[in-house]
Amino acid sequence: MTTDGGPSAMKRFVNGILPENPVLRQILGMCPTLAVTNGMKPAMTMALAVAFVLVCSNVMASLLRPFLKPHLRILVFTLSIATFVTIADRFLAAYVYEMSKALGPYVPLIIVNCIIISRCEICASKQGLGPAVGDALGQALGCLLAYAAMGTVRETLGNGTWFGIRVLPAGAWDPWVVMLLPPGAFLTLGLLLGVVNWADRRFSRAAGDRK
Amino acid sequence: MRVLTEAWLVIALSVGFGAGLAGVHAALRDRIRANQAAEIRAQIPKLVPGADAGRSEEVRPGVFRALDAGGRPVGWVLQGKDQGFADVVQILVGLDEEGGKLTGIYVLDNKETPGLGNRIEEAEWRAQFAGAPAREPLRTVKGAPSGPGQVRAVTGATISSETVTRIVNATVAEWRKSRAAGKD
Amino acid sequence: MDYLVGLLLLVLTTAVINNFVFHFFVGICPYIGVSRRLDTALGMGLAVTFVMAVAAALSWGITYALLRPDAPLALAVCRLFAPGTASVDLSVLKYLVYIFLIASAVQFVEMYLRKVFPPLYKAFGVFLPLITTNCCILFACLEIGSDRRMSGGAEAWDLAQALAYAVAAGLGFTLAIVIMAGIREELDHADVPQALRGPAIVLIIAGILAMAFLGFAGVDAGVARLFGR
Repeated sequence: MTTDGGPSAMKRFVNGILPENPVLRQILGMCPTLAVTNGMKPAMTMALAVAFVLVCSNVMASLLRPFLKPHLRILVFTLSIATFVTIADRFLAAYVYEMSKALGPYVPLIIVNCIIISRCEICASKQGLGPAVGDALGQALGCLLAYAAMGTVRETLGNGTWFGIRVLPAGAWDPWVVMLLPPGAFLTLGLLLGVVNWADRRFSRAAGDRK
Repeated sequence: MRVLTEAWLVIALSVGFGAGLAGVHAALRDRIRANQAAEIRAQIPKLVPGADAGRSEEVRPGVFRALDAGGRPVGWVLQGKDQGFADVVQILVGLDEEGGKLTGIYVLDNKETPGLGNRIEEAEWRAQFAGAPAREPLRTVKGAPSGPGQVRAVTGATISSETVTRIVNATVAEWRKSRAAGKD
Repeated sequence: MDYLVGLLLLVLTTAVINNFVFHFFVGICPYIGVSRRLDTALGMGLAVTFVMAVAAALSWGITYALLRPDAPLALAVCRLFAPGTASVDLSVLKYLVYIFLIASAVQFVEMYLRKVFPPLYKAFGVFLPLITTNCCILFACLEIGSDRRMSGGAEAWDLAQALAYAVAAGLGFTLAIVIMAGIREELDHADVPQALRGPAIVLIIAGILAMAFLGFAGVDAGVARLFGR
């Protein structure tokens, strides 16, 4: 417990990875999860961009804590998120131009990604810098794991590659092109959520039996 | 007035963030612009043998005169686009100096179906255009081509293949017209 | 006439072929959240369409007056303070301005509806604050203000095209969410496996619907040929 009564930085970090995974448990930020995970490279680039914006805006929200008026709070968060997204977008265009073109309009859509606003609201605006950064890193890691799972399934089955490296022999495997298309995205995410729900139920039941 | 005092934080942040963004923009703008230009220039040596990316010049928007390291003209690179199956397809067309033969094509941007229409990007398919005659419009055929003026379409992606051929024909024709009018 | 055909093709493409939900993956959060019942789904869809039209018109105006490189209003204001400015490029502020605009547009639409059309406000009421974080609106504004449209030429859009785009996108979203609501109402009587209940089954159904919508690809080429383009 920290001095302000909320969970500690470490607890926030661990929570974000699986128990409160933003994509798989909180069901937030679906749009980029479906859009950019048709390959590992764009998926990881997007995960890093989200991580950057999450950490920066959590830090900003935590620093601005004493000045936040209740009804202007969301606007302040949104302004700071929009600024950091613009910075991330410019950096991508300057240093990894190809990837920036591939990600296209989904980088600016990070601004309305519910994950970031909800972390600012739930954690950063109420706790100090430590827990805010821990929370941001944990949620970002959880997000990255979800993207990695989606990206791996979609790229391997849809293209036979992983990060562009061929893993399924070209002759032996006829790629399931649908995986790279919108239906594949929806189906993969739906089934992934189903698997996570089942695992959660199974292991919490097991833990409950052991008590 | 009360709104102003309550909104001082929003105003201050807007000004602060705006200034920060202006700084980032100033720092990165040239790099981004160079990236956009470099993308096309980098293809020039690959499309026209012997051309030098740095020395080639953009005669008009979308028309590049390929020059070799010594400054001598070795060919042309033309930019063209049209609506494909899914969205706009953008390509670069390489032409030899007189405009008699194509030296190759490169697909700059496409949103065609992955695994099908997308295959127009593959070097193997594009190689058909290297050495193809440019004085007559090319035609797309479904099976094996029977002559030098024909291009074999990607199996299962006839529309995407026809789009590329259409763009090549239109771009070369337009270049030839403006050449005849004395613009280049 | 050719202009109207162009508008028709734009509407057809945006509403059905490049459907915002099934092709561009925007608006998924409200899509999953509000598609339980037919009447709420319809309400959400129409509210989104309305706000999109307002936001698109405003963002078109601001883009062409202020945010384009060398936009007239920006240039005029700059010349007030520093006469002799050759050119000004405010496009780096694009995202800040758009999100500000959308948040304000939603606020104003809410206030306006509450005063002028109370029954409509009651119908939309609970959805309006949610729309600010709806990706659809920002996505539409980004498309209208995208670099390739701002650089002029054949790609630039006038107000009518921007509005047609926004309304078509909203109607496409409404179509998608209403179809899903109809299916989900039936799903209440089906035996969905425990693990898949909730968002998971909605996404799987959305995948099947997306497959169906893939069938519309290329229809715009056919319609264009019908009009002799």
